Formats: sequence, C-alpha cells, structure tokens
Amino acid sequence: MTAIVVRELTKNFQTKRKAAGLGASLRALYRPEYHTVEAVRGISFQMEAGELLGFIGPNGAGKSTTIKILTGILYPTSGQVSVLGYTPWTQRRQLAYHIGTVFGQRPQLWYHLPAIDTFSLFGKIYELDDREVKKRIQFLAEAFEIRDLLETPVRKLSLGQRMRCEIAASLLHRPSLLLLDEPSIGLDVVAKQQIRDTIRQMNEVEKVGVLLTSHDAGDLEALCKRVIIINHGQIVYEDKVSTLKRRHLTTKDVGVRYAAEIAPDFKIPGAETIKVGKYGAKLRFDTRQTPVETILSRLAAAGAVADITISDPSLEDVIATIYQQATPQQSEVGEN
Amino acid sequence: MKRIGKYWAIFKTQILNTLAYPGELAWRSLSIILFLWVFANLWRVTYRAEGSGTLNGISLKDMLWYLMLAETIELGKPRLARVMADAVKDGSVAYLLNKPYHFILYHLSTGMGESLVRGSMTALFGGAIVWLMMGPPPDPRGWPLAAAGVLGAWLLHFCVNALIGLAAFVSEEVAPYEWIYQKLAFILGGLFIPLDLYPLWLQNIARYLPFAYMLYGPARLFIAPDIGLFLNVLGGQIFWLAVLGGLLFFFYSRGMRRLAINGG
Repeated sequence: MTAIVVRELTKNFQTKRKAAGLGASLRALYRPEYHTVEAVRGISFQMEAGELLGFIGPNGAGKSTTIKILTGILYPTSGQVSVLGYTPWTQRRQLAYHIGTVFGQRPQLWYHLPAIDTFSLFGKIYELDDREVKKRIQFLAEAFEIRDLLETPVRKLSLGQRMRCEIAASLLHRPSLLLLDEPSIGLDVVAKQQIRDTIRQMNEVEKVGVLLTSHDAGDLEALCKRVIIINHGQIVYEDKVSTLKRRHLTTKDVGVRYAAEIAPDFKIPGAETIKVGKYGAKLRFDTRQTPVETILSRLAAAGAVADITISDPSLEDVIATIYQQATPQQSEVGEN
Repeated sequence: MKRIGKYWAIFKTQILNTLAYPGELAWRSLSIILFLWVFANLWRVTYRAEGSGTLNGISLKDMLWYLMLAETIELGKPRLARVMADAVKDGSVAYLLNKPYHFILYHLSTGMGESLVRGSMTALFGGAIVWLMMGPPPDPRGWPLAAAGVLGAWLLHFCVNALIGLAAFVSEEVAPYEWIYQKLAFILGGLFIPLDLYPLWLQNIARYLPFAYMLYGPARLFIAPDIGLFLNVLGGQIFWLAVLGGLLFFFYSRGMRRLAINGG
C-alpha cells in the first residue's frame, strides 16, 4: 500500500528584498521589492506504508518545506499530494489523527509542565479513551526508557531526554505514518543512537512508516532502506541506501600530524592530497582502490605519526558530488 | 462530546501552565496594588478639588472599584497576538497547526485559561487593596452580571488579539497593530476614566465602538448593577462578537494560504 504520493510538487515563497543602508530602508517602505524563492521545484516521489524513507539534503534544500506540505500546514504552489489517501492542505485535521510529527528542536511538549501532562492532553486531543491512554503511555515509557522522566518539567530535561519524550508523544495515538524533521539535530552520539534504536523498534513492532529528514548521514545509514536526496528544491538522487553507500560513501578523509616537519610536496601513494601544512596533511582516498590499513601503514612509513584521524566525507560533500554528476530526476533516480 | 472535551482539556492544561511559577505570578499581580494606590491618591485630589462627593454620579469609592475591575479585565485579557507572532517567527506554529483541533479554538482555550488565572489574581490583590482603602465592594447581587460582562469582554479582546495575531501570517511583526489597539482600548474603552466623565460627543462615538464593551460596560455593571445596563452590555458584546468573530474565522481561512513558516 502506498502511504505518500507526491506529483510535480512546487512551493514558492515571496520574500522582501532590501539593499543595505538607511536610504534603501526608506525606499523599501514605499516601494518594497519582492523576489520569489523556489523552495520546492516540481518534485515527485512515493513512499510505501511501513517504509523507512530518508529525505535528506543540506540546509535550505526544501526538505522541511516538503514535510510541512505533507502535514497540511503549508499550501503548495502547484502539484498533487496524497498522504494516507488525504489531500493534506484541505483535510489537515482528518489527516492529523493518522500521522505523528516531530520538528527538530521545536517543542510540542508544554515546556513548563511535566511531559505526562502533555501526554494526557494529547490523549484528549486525539479523542482516545483514558484507559487506552494510560496503557499506551506505559508502553511508550518502556519503549523509550522515559518512565523516570515523565513527571519532570520538560524544561529540566536534557535535549536527548526531551527528544525521546517528543517522539513518544507523537506516537501516542498510534499513527501509521511518522514524519520526523531533523529529530537528531543537536544531540550527542549516545542520544542519537538511542533515538535511532527506538525509531527502528517502533517501525518493526508497530509497522509505522517513517519519513525522516536529516542532514546527518548517520541517521540515514542507521535507519533508512531508501533515500531521497534533495538539493535546491529538486530531487538529485533516489535509490536504496546500500546503493548510495556503494557508489558514493566510498571515500575517507585522513588528517595526519607528524612529530617532525614534513616536505611541502608530501604525498602518499593511493591518496589524494587535499592540504599540506608544516607538520601535517589532509588526504582523501577511495576504500575500493586502497584499503584503510594500506594507507595507515604508508602514513606510518612516512614519519613518526603524532596524531591521526579518519572520517567519512560530510553529507554535503557527497550531495555536492551527486549533484555535479546527476541531472535532477534523471540519471540517478533509479531502481525503486 | 470528545470533540468539545479536548478544548476543555486544553483550557485546564493552560491553567496548570500559568500556575507553574506561582511566585512570579503573585509578584506580577502585586503591581496592581501600586497602580491602585497611585490612582486612589490622584482621584482623592480630583474629588477634593471639585468639592463634590460624586463626579457625574460616581463616588470616589465606586471610582476605585471601577478601576479595579477595569484593570482586572485589562491585565487578565488574552495576550494572543504576540504569542501567535512569535510562533510564526520561530516556526513552532507548525506544531499548533498539525493537531486535530481548530487552531482558533485552541488559542481561545489557552487564552481563557490564562485570563482566568491572571484575572483572578489581579481581582484578589486589587480587591484587597481597594477594600482596605475605600471600604467593601459594591452590591454582591451585581457580581454575576459583572462576571458575565468580564467573560464577554475577554472574548472580544480574544477576537481582536487573534485578528492581530493572524497578521503575523503575512507580515510577522505585529507590535505596531497591538500598540494601536491597546491605546484605542485604553481611551475609547474607559480604562482609567469611566466614559460617563467624557465629553458627550466622545461618549457617543465610544458607545458605537467595541472598546466600550471590552472595559467600560462590565466595570460600570460592577459598581452600578442594573438589568437594563446588563442587557445593553450583553447586546453590544454579542453584536461585536458576531462581527469580530466572523472576521476572525474569515481571515483565518484566508491567512492559512498566505502562511510562510520560518525554518523550513
């Protein structure tokens, strides 16, 4: 069954434009200038019920705007959308009974009250029976390990604790679709892992479909089977995560620092030199061509290593690469 | 029933929320004591200068009880415009819009919950100081009439506040509209001086505007309960609620199309 169908979706915003200075400010008062920002440019995609779909892209790519259209709080400029059979912007309240949403760092829990008060309120808002709400809160408290947090005012919770409560609250009414907009933003590694584990668990146990936006490649790798990458309002990649990894997450960045000065033309066979300093260098290599241990041994052979770091390229880099390679919605929209 | 029950639950939750910091709430409410003490002295001087026990039929004691109730309405009124504008600016309006309730009725429930707590605190502290300075309150038989008037006044304030708040859907910044509305309500609503003391031409203008039913009407009912005045206030409030409420729901449905949420 298809949970989301999006066809040729476009969203434009009108924003005021004003040059710097007092004169320009005064001119803008009687003759304001507007320009159109194309936040979403004719995207099309589908999501199956119970699927874990990653919807990723850098800041300003249009992913949050798309989610807000999917929940019905923004009207599109053009295009067709069906979410669980509803047209979101004309049937927003009916749709709200069947979806859950979490918008990054914007709290839905009442800040000065314990989370349990918001949970109880949501029970009323979603028109659930009191007994059913109690049972559901117990279940979610176990699943999200928030039993001890429920009676603490939300303002006193850490960001990670609060986010677990936020996601639990969004699942109170047993939605069949969860829309998560940057749920891991600002969280530390442990909190991120806890959130990812719980989302995966809820997907497996309750078959709730999850559309997840993030600019953290870790969220994508840990949770999603399929990914849509959006940039400048257009889909630049749509495929399985495994395919994305195989094709694009194959390079690693290495930062190395030596105990003694290195030559200005420092080079390591099998790696591309990005930057060379007095004592260290930054390199990039392709793991399909040169294994990590080979690079490490070559770095060690070049001198006495004082420090070394190995990292994945940022998602922004990967997207930039994909964007350069692909014509939107053409060459890399495949398989699914 | 559950459809209505959710708004009752929101109202109750807002009361809990407003009571989350009782100390801060009490301190804020204490400002009414200073305000009424200053006005008591000003009016004393005015009445002495006039050399009369009443001004257009209002005694010094009634004047202070009028002020107390008018301030209870003013300090307790729903302050929704800024809340809505802030929610649009920081993007949290997204959460308020994607729940299965009516956005306007949600705000009505939270606004009334907050008004009830803040208004009660103001009436408690304000009533105590006026009682101490001037003697007991007016005839208790008029209290239910005044209470009904206060409720109607808050509903009118809600409508105007929400209309200003909706402007945030388009322009984001609503402080100038809020400022103009507040000053109009102060003057044409008779916050500091009952409309009875205004020049006749200004009284006539004020009585045709909604502001008189937001402050003067209920406060006058409190000091001079009268069924004729009550029916006049009630009729005026119902008329303006129909007008402003109609505009509110109309502009809400139009405003949703214009909404641009930040942080997207």
